[in-house]
Amino acid sequence: MSCLRKLGRLVAGLLRELADESAYQRHLEQHGRAHSGVEWRRFSEARLRAKYSQPKCC
Amino acid sequence: MKRVIGSVAWAAVAVGAAFCLAGIAVNRGEPINSMWLLLAAACVYLLGFRFYGKFIAARVMALNDDRATPAERLRDGIDFEPTNKWILLGHHFAAIAGPGPLVGPVLAAQFGYLPGTLWIILGAVLGGAVQDFVILFASMRRDGKSLGQMAREEIGRVGGITALLTVLLIMIILLAVVALVVVNALKGSPWGTFTIVATMPIAVFMGLYLRYWRPGKVLECSIIGFMLVMAGIFLGQGVAESATFAPWFTLSGAALAIAIIVYGFLASALPVWLLLAPRGYLSTFVKLGVLLLLAAGILLVRPQLQLPAFTRFVDGTGPIFAGKIFPFCFITIACGAISGFHSLISSGTTPKMIAKEWHAWPVGYGSMLLESFVAVMAMIAASVMQPGVFFAVNSPEGIVGAAPAAAAATITGWGFPVTAPEMASLAREVGEQTLFSRTGGAPSLALGMAHIFARGGGEALVGFWYHFAIMFEALFILTIIDAGTRVGRFMLQDLLGHVWEPLGRTNWMPGVIGFSAAIVAAWGYFLYQGVRDPLGGINSLWPLFGIANQLLAAIALCVATTILIKMHGARYLWLTSIPLAWLLCVTFTAAWQKIFSPAPAIGFLAQADKLQRALQAGAMTAAKAAETRALIFNARLDALLCGIFLALVATILIDSVRVWIGILRGSRESHVREAPFVLSRLRAEEL
Repeated sequence: MSCLRKLGRLVAGLLRELADESAYQRHLEQHGRAHSGVEWRRFSEARLRAKYSQPKCC
Repeated sequence: MKRVIGSVAWAAVAVGAAFCLAGIAVNRGEPINSMWLLLAAACVYLLGFRFYGKFIAARVMALNDDRATPAERLRDGIDFEPTNKWILLGHHFAAIAGPGPLVGPVLAAQFGYLPGTLWIILGAVLGGAVQDFVILFASMRRDGKSLGQMAREEIGRVGGITALLTVLLIMIILLAVVALVVVNALKGSPWGTFTIVATMPIAVFMGLYLRYWRPGKVLECSIIGFMLVMAGIFLGQGVAESATFAPWFTLSGAALAIAIIVYGFLASALPVWLLLAPRGYLSTFVKLGVLLLLAAGILLVRPQLQLPAFTRFVDGTGPIFAGKIFPFCFITIACGAISGFHSLISSGTTPKMIAKEWHAWPVGYGSMLLESFVAVMAMIAASVMQPGVFFAVNSPEGIVGAAPAAAAATITGWGFPVTAPEMASLAREVGEQTLFSRTGGAPSLALGMAHIFARGGGEALVGFWYHFAIMFEALFILTIIDAGTRVGRFMLQDLLGHVWEPLGRTNWMPGVIGFSAAIVAAWGYFLYQGVRDPLGGINSLWPLFGIANQLLAAIALCVATTILIKMHGARYLWLTSIPLAWLLCVTFTAAWQKIFSPAPAIGFLAQADKLQRALQAGAMTAAKAAETRALIFNARLDALLCGIFLALVATILIDSVRVWIGILRGSRESHVREAPFVLSRLRAEEL
């Protein structure tokens, strides 16, 4: 059961990482800010600029 | 005792690998079960990972968990962040898994399932995974530097600029060829076209949802987007059956090509959050989900392989692409065994997220083995079809003829029986007008996947599964096109920004529009050329892409070899130089044949000469003559491009060999440009 829980946590962690939600959480913690629409837009613009300046794999 | 059990277990895996490989190799003349392939691959991967990968990690790289990684030293919470190794493995795998390992094996199945499968398994263990792992290690020890930066620092300025130019050219060919795969999958298919068109407003809705209505809720938004896409697939069936709407979405290859070119331009010029990002999120989740579903489907159904181990086309007369097993099987498989593009990912985001040095082993080496496993699954999906059906779907009209009865007769004449009514019935079953000459690999892969999924549950839903598979392939290919066009624009701006500074500004609107148009025009030209090619385009463009991709891998292996020589002298030179030598043999032979082969089906110049002679004979209408002149120009352009690829890689190779000889003779400094050692304070429980 604990193995399954661990696996579930890992899958959830992976999905949150792929969705940039973990990175956003870290961004908020790093800068001591609270979540808001403006903050998300500020974060996602920087994040997406970096993400889409690298080629996607074939 | 534990050691003994471990040794016995690994001996059992080794025996299992040998048994399965022998089983595949000796079985002739009757269908074998796909589990033989899966088990052989799994056992070889386990052995390769445990022994070869660990040897490289421990002896060659001397990975050290006491050494702080860039993720720890330069932690900024965004790019540099220590990440759990399994999460990072999934993240890295999601980044490297593209359409290449799915489409390449399907095309290479024209030789039979055996040659491609063996290369996918062995190439990944001995070449592809080694390249990914060494480049990841090198970048990790250099604060996450890119391949281009490492090439410049370790080899020299010429190497760096050559690498950048090569990547740009490869991007152009890559975008053209993957766009052609989508065009061929959607041509004359109202159901498929409607589903893909529907993903555009869905993506815009997701973009607005994320930006204004529920900021930051990416997972929630992706689930809604996925449900809408599934609804789109169901609606697509109604559209395809509607006398009013079906014609709107029944498009020719040329019309689809223009639509994709316009889409590429818009995606490159519009704000990222509106279209690219939501599609990117959605496609990543769909991709991982479908690959898991395919793996589960194969395990559940355990289908028999219908294709033979070898087909008669090993002699080089194949209808999908011309050329013998060596070198064209290796060029065609490309990413499933070794992919140059992986070196860009391994020196991109991933090295900045590794928490402990030893994590590079599963992330770098292990992810490539997973990608290779995907390629084996694609080979299985292609091989579960009747050979006659496989060749009917994948052979271009220029070879088998446009009339169904004539095409079926030609394919039956090759020894792969198929009939026109059988193909018509199959097309009806999956909701298509025809399945003849649907070149490019995507439709046959979708057919194979639909066959597996339908047998796993819901025989009546085979049409839905076929279009689900087409949606999955087209969705993530389009994300490569939109992101790739944007990256190509950045690269071009980066190069030309040195000439005039405003050209380098990525938010300068005239630059955004002009460079987006330039990149789109470049790949759009090759796409349009492929669409108009009577042999389907894949015949010439996929080998070009394969050559380019493998040449990029050769560049990465040059950088890796330079670094290993600087670390250990000649001691571990073999590790990267043997795969490098093999790649050079394969790619240079393939490129040489594609340019100079006297057979018009293979050599671009011979093809141009043949067309030139036909033109000079004069028995053509004016329109046909104009078309022939365009084909002659295109064949010569393809030959030139192939030559440029060779020249670029020869430049970097000569430059590298010069550096290697200098270091080994002691006439050149062999300073390893790694970041200094800093003791790690990161504890396992923090991850």
